[in-house]
Amino acid sequence: MTTDITSKKLPLHEEHLSRGARMGDFGGWNVPLYYTSIIEEHVTVRTQVGIFDISHMGEFLVEGPGALAYLERCLPRKIAPVKNQQAIYMPLVNERGGMVDDIILYRVKDDRFLIIVNAGNIEKDYKWFLSRVTDGVTLMDLSSEYGLLAVQGPASSVIIATAFGAFFRDIPRFQYRDFEGGIMARTGYTGEDGFEIMVPTARLKSVWDVLFMAGEKKGLKPVGFGARDTLRLEAGMPLYGHELTDEITPLEAGLGWALDFEKPAFPGSEILRSQKNTGVQRKRIGFEMVDRGIPRHACEIHKDGKQIGWVTSGSFIPPAGTTPGRNIGMGYVSSAEARENNEIDIVVRGHSLKARVVSLPFYKRK
Amino acid sequence: MNFPENLRYTKTHEWISLTGHKARVGVTEYAQKEISDVVFVELAKKGHPVEQGKAASVVESVKAAFDIYAPVSGTITDANGALEANPGLVNQDPYNDGWLFELEVSDPLSVDALMTSAQYAAFVQSGSAH
Repeated sequence: MTTDITSKKLPLHEEHLSRGARMGDFGGWNVPLYYTSIIEEHVTVRTQVGIFDISHMGEFLVEGPGALAYLERCLPRKIAPVKNQQAIYMPLVNERGGMVDDIILYRVKDDRFLIIVNAGNIEKDYKWFLSRVTDGVTLMDLSSEYGLLAVQGPASSVIIATAFGAFFRDIPRFQYRDFEGGIMARTGYTGEDGFEIMVPTARLKSVWDVLFMAGEKKGLKPVGFGARDTLRLEAGMPLYGHELTDEITPLEAGLGWALDFEKPAFPGSEILRSQKNTGVQRKRIGFEMVDRGIPRHACEIHKDGKQIGWVTSGSFIPPAGTTPGRNIGMGYVSSAEARENNEIDIVVRGHSLKARVVSLPFYKRK
Repeated sequence: MNFPENLRYTKTHEWISLTGHKARVGVTEYAQKEISDVVFVELAKKGHPVEQGKAASVVESVKAAFDIYAPVSGTITDANGALEANPGLVNQDPYNDGWLFELEVSDPLSVDALMTSAQYAAFVQSGSAH
């Protein structure tokens, strides 16, 4: 409930305050936790449409004649096949096979790429990329020059069409179009249809206002970081610092689909290749509570009285539409215990509470 | 904000209502607003002795768990079972249907030492509540 005075303010800070936001700290930023309530905002995104200010995220530009070859060396997916105006998700892997971050890469032009990184990792990632830069590559941190808004929910395409025209509504999934000196992409972090809009900071407020003018009558509401977390958890999406860390490999995290081994070596590629061949010792799982109680980050996971893993994220998830409310979590357990329906115990304040392993995601939109 | 005058208050935002040796405890209107939507209550355990200032119950919002402290020492005699099915009562009616637990108070005079409604209102106002 206190505010860290060293935390950074979002460009729309005053706008959030004027809309009654309860502010809190996330990744070194002072951000809206909720405006009315996490529960209401979660339901808004699942059933209508919400707008998030995620300007805390970092943006890097990589360009130059050597950019493609540089990114092929740095990143675990094939970059050459990525078309202009296309986006791809992937982990950033360290030499030990652990994860530095998870990123979205946009190909702007043949030799020009934009990378979106997590706010808490901007400095770490920048150093990581910079230390690998070679001739013909320019790396720039644009984080302070751009703001990012996300419009998410079943009605998001209607709002985008009303606000900016059908051209943007028709952007295919994981592609983007140039927009207002930045880009608009069909991406998100909620499990719903949606758009992420990156524009120069000076234009952020006008884009926000146009969206509200177009959307307020259709139920558009601002949504804070509290609901962002319940939405992404229910969608089974990992969060850096929780499911993803420097010590966990993408294979353990269930991100094997975002690795290409049929390409030149990248950091950690040999370790990951051998882990892929021998199999992982621990795996990311989803679980649903059977007993009453809410699992939380860092709770131990037990089976037959012995620790088999730990919880990385856990929460009460509000009921929305036909989806019932429930207490769920994600975590890591030894691979032998990761099977679906396995009965496990989550230790909450010293009590062993029954839970069962379920397949991810917990929620999939129809 | 409403802080009924017949109750006593703690710096950790519990209220207590004393009748003879028996007392009922809950959280204040200020506390329920700070906690936001209550989605789970770990009830106090009947028959357990509790010490003043020690956690007796836990109230959880979507994001976090909050310890609820015993305003005075005593023995838990009852907990509000209605909160298992409807934890939101803590938000809707913190002074009545949203009560948390009852206890047999060791020393009824210890309740007199707690803040009055006016003192608690001033305490919340002063901002030291954070």
